[in-house]
Amino acid sequence: MSAIVTPSARPLSLTGKRIDWAGLGFLAAILLCLLACFAFLATLLAQVFTDGWGTLADRGSDFLTADLSNSPSRAGVAQAIKGSLLLAGFVAIAAFPLGIATAVYLEEYARDTRFSRLVRLNIRNLAGVPSVVYGLLGLSVFVKLLGTDMADGKGLTGGRSLLSGGLTLSVLVLPIVIITASESIRAVPSILREGAFGLGATQWEVVRTVVLPNAFAGILTGAVLSLSRALGETAPLILTGAFLGTFFRTPNQSFADTLRGDYTALPMVIFNWAGEAKSSFKLELAPAAIIVLLAITLLCNAAAVLLRARYERDA
Amino acid sequence: MTVATNANPNLLVGSRRRQRREDAIRGVFLTAGLSSMLISVAIVFSLLGESVSFLNNIELSSLWTSGWFPRQGKFDLSTLFVGSLIVTGVAMIIAAPLGLGAAVFLAEYAPTRVRKILKPILEILAGIPSIVLGFFAFRWIAPNVVQNLSDQATLFSLMSAGIGVGILVTPLVASVSEDALRAVPRTLREASYGVGARKVTTTLRVVFPAAISGIVASLILATSRAIGETMVVALAAGGSGGTQFTSNPFDEGQTITAAMAALAAGTDAVAGGGGTGAGAAFQSLFFLGLLLFLITLLLNFVADRVVRRLREAY
Amino acid sequence: MLIRTQRVTRVAALGLTAAMIFAACGGDDEPDDNGGDTPSGLTGSVVVSGSSTVEPITSLVAELFAEDNPDVDIRVDGPGTGDGFQLFCQGETDISDASRPIKDEEATNCADTGIEFVELKVAIDGLSVVTSLNNDAVDCLSFADLYALVGPESEDFETWSDANDLGAEVGGSGDYPDAPLDITAPGAESGTYDSFIEIALGDIAEARLEAGAITEDQVETVRPDYSSQSNDNQIVSGIAGSDASLGWVGYAFASENADQVRSLEVDGGDGCVAADPDTIASGDYPLARDLYIYVSKASIAEKPEVAAFVDFYLTEDGSTSVADSGYVQLNDEAWQATVDAWTAAKG
Repeated sequence: MSAIVTPSARPLSLTGKRIDWAGLGFLAAILLCLLACFAFLATLLAQVFTDGWGTLADRGSDFLTADLSNSPSRAGVAQAIKGSLLLAGFVAIAAFPLGIATAVYLEEYARDTRFSRLVRLNIRNLAGVPSVVYGLLGLSVFVKLLGTDMADGKGLTGGRSLLSGGLTLSVLVLPIVIITASESIRAVPSILREGAFGLGATQWEVVRTVVLPNAFAGILTGAVLSLSRALGETAPLILTGAFLGTFFRTPNQSFADTLRGDYTALPMVIFNWAGEAKSSFKLELAPAAIIVLLAITLLCNAAAVLLRARYERDA
Repeated sequence: MTVATNANPNLLVGSRRRQRREDAIRGVFLTAGLSSMLISVAIVFSLLGESVSFLNNIELSSLWTSGWFPRQGKFDLSTLFVGSLIVTGVAMIIAAPLGLGAAVFLAEYAPTRVRKILKPILEILAGIPSIVLGFFAFRWIAPNVVQNLSDQATLFSLMSAGIGVGILVTPLVASVSEDALRAVPRTLREASYGVGARKVTTTLRVVFPAAISGIVASLILATSRAIGETMVVALAAGGSGGTQFTSNPFDEGQTITAAMAALAAGTDAVAGGGGTGAGAAFQSLFFLGLLLFLITLLLNFVADRVVRRLREAY
Repeated sequence: MLIRTQRVTRVAALGLTAAMIFAACGGDDEPDDNGGDTPSGLTGSVVVSGSSTVEPITSLVAELFAEDNPDVDIRVDGPGTGDGFQLFCQGETDISDASRPIKDEEATNCADTGIEFVELKVAIDGLSVVTSLNNDAVDCLSFADLYALVGPESEDFETWSDANDLGAEVGGSGDYPDAPLDITAPGAESGTYDSFIEIALGDIAEARLEAGAITEDQVETVRPDYSSQSNDNQIVSGIAGSDASLGWVGYAFASENADQVRSLEVDGGDGCVAADPDTIASGDYPLARDLYIYVSKASIAEKPEVAAFVDFYLTEDGSTSVADSGYVQLNDEAWQATVDAWTAAKG
């Protein structure tokens, strides 16, 4: 730490009469970095809104309720919104309980063995696996393995179906749910646990009455954030067969058929429209769909923040 | 905390029924824990199977021919590797300074009130789906940035994809580095001020080295994320039908991930009918997935080791 | 405080669960907006895949068909003619759109899996040879010029004039501008790629093979070093983005983007002809090809909704859809031949 006493440091900071140019320059540089981030964000939003707002304003709710079409003036995102919400619901039902249970196991039940360290390492690695690789997992396990042999040849998942996509996204966000839940559980003071054990509670009773309630805010926030991640994912859906064409409709299906049937989602529609040559798809409809997607993901994130704030105040 | 939980509670449990319930619940949680292992196993197996049959189906020399044209049986890996390298390089040139700068400002300079406003804005940027950045990359970055840097760049180039990916991973660098910087104990800073160091000196020569493990980890994680990023490149880099080898960032090109997306948008529907062009193309998808998986696994592992090796205990 | 916390947890958890269930089931009531009104009484599904060139026609027909038949599931997408036939021969689709006739090997695939089909010609499309709006050095290219510029022997030509010698040798003008040659065109999954090679380059390539200038493998290819795009937006941008660009796309596609790309005249041996609906329909424009739909006979027999869909395709509405999508309608005679073929196949 010899470097700390630089010759210039003493007089400057002690007298305070001369301006610390190096310090100011550094401050300016890092402030510029932060501002650049915000400038990118602002430009992005401005570009998307100038491109897409016209469609939303002209078409209004029609854009939100119309089906896919080859004609830009009729095409809408109804099926995409429905697909995205169903996928998100599926992730909530499949990934949250499993992820939270895994976190409880790791933090409350598992001893510090070689095995539990392996599980932890594995989860950290899974969190870093690119989403497109999860798409391949979904393709070979959910679409192919579980999706091809049953009476109707469509298997349990129905092949390239909403169910396959939803399962894939669930697997994708699972490590994120586990990691955020683990962090929240770890943040629960152990004195609370010890108190409960002291009163004769079993491990499960401690988890149920002490750990989960106190970690709830953090778990919830992580869960909702992972939901918004799932809403924005595109690559795994391409691989698990989200619809990439111009027209499809699936009227009057039972819920089971919907799950095992064709689907699309907002990011897929954006991908498809952005690749169209017709400039109205590329430059008007795609950004309009982006606005819808951003609105949904931002609502999701805002809900997380609000829930957390609300909960923390109540507790 | 593990001390408390591991004090075998079973000894204290009263009735047998209660104990059975306790065991059952423990079993449920254990199963959940095992499921994550199952996922890894499933990933490896699903990638390995098709990769092996891919390598069996093609002439190995087609892995180093000219260009990546999977439907014509040209699977030149160097094309995709260099493409990935360029995109990741450009991304990190953007993300490293911006992310670190933002992190230092938020952690060391910003007053709490300011930080409470700025941090969520950065989180919004982190929450933008990659497909949106892909759109932004060819709609705004390409004409306004890339085509100003080079006359010969078209609307689609590895450069604009790289910049898009850079913006995407900047919040990741910022947030992980900021956590690392904030974890440095106050006492170190105070000691530094105590011997008369300026704020900038303290930040750069005391806090920064103390947080170096987290900072390096943030950069490695961001690199890994950039290599795995798919949609920005798929929309912005061009070359979706196959691409020639190029090392010029202003050319269009493909990365490992974008090649996968391009294949998937067409052929994943085609259940690899062996031998034919489309069949081998379909299987190359899994081969690329395996390579990508191994690369990111290695990077994540290195990041993990770096954190452990360089971490200073306070 | 602990107890209170717990209650809050439960309430919140309940709320979250309710929200999830709502999200998960939200789709349930949506399909009912047709009110159970079934004018045609048809149900079931029609699955169409194949050429992205034909997709706009089929998709428009599907939209019109759906108005009268609200209870039929329909999906139309366009990964490419070749990919479409793969799916079709695996029995995954009822109808396959195609921008070229089925290849022998594809027909063999279908035969192997027992898929019988009927081929129906539905429209004509020209292949437009396009360049940038800024390129006024070239107005017309012959097949030999095209071979010299984009054929298998043109690899590594970086400017148009690099092709001068080869152009003269194969019978083209051999007098090309000294400008960078940037080629953007569809990738190998596309029927447009196959058609172009077959119609424009095929004969010359055969002759060159005889002459020993190229190998067997190169006959059905173009130069490998072109910008190959599967994404339509990237093709148009690629052509528009370089001043001396060259490429080929479907006529409908070129005319739709006439504000961004310029179509060249093409000489197929009888002088330069510009592409327009008349020259394409009459066959004067040399780079024209037929567009098809292939219908699975099993689907016709087992799925009345598929038969009804094809019936509808071949009505006035179908033929209007061809024009509305920017393609050239068949003349009456050819159209009648298609209708006859369909009637025969339907039995």
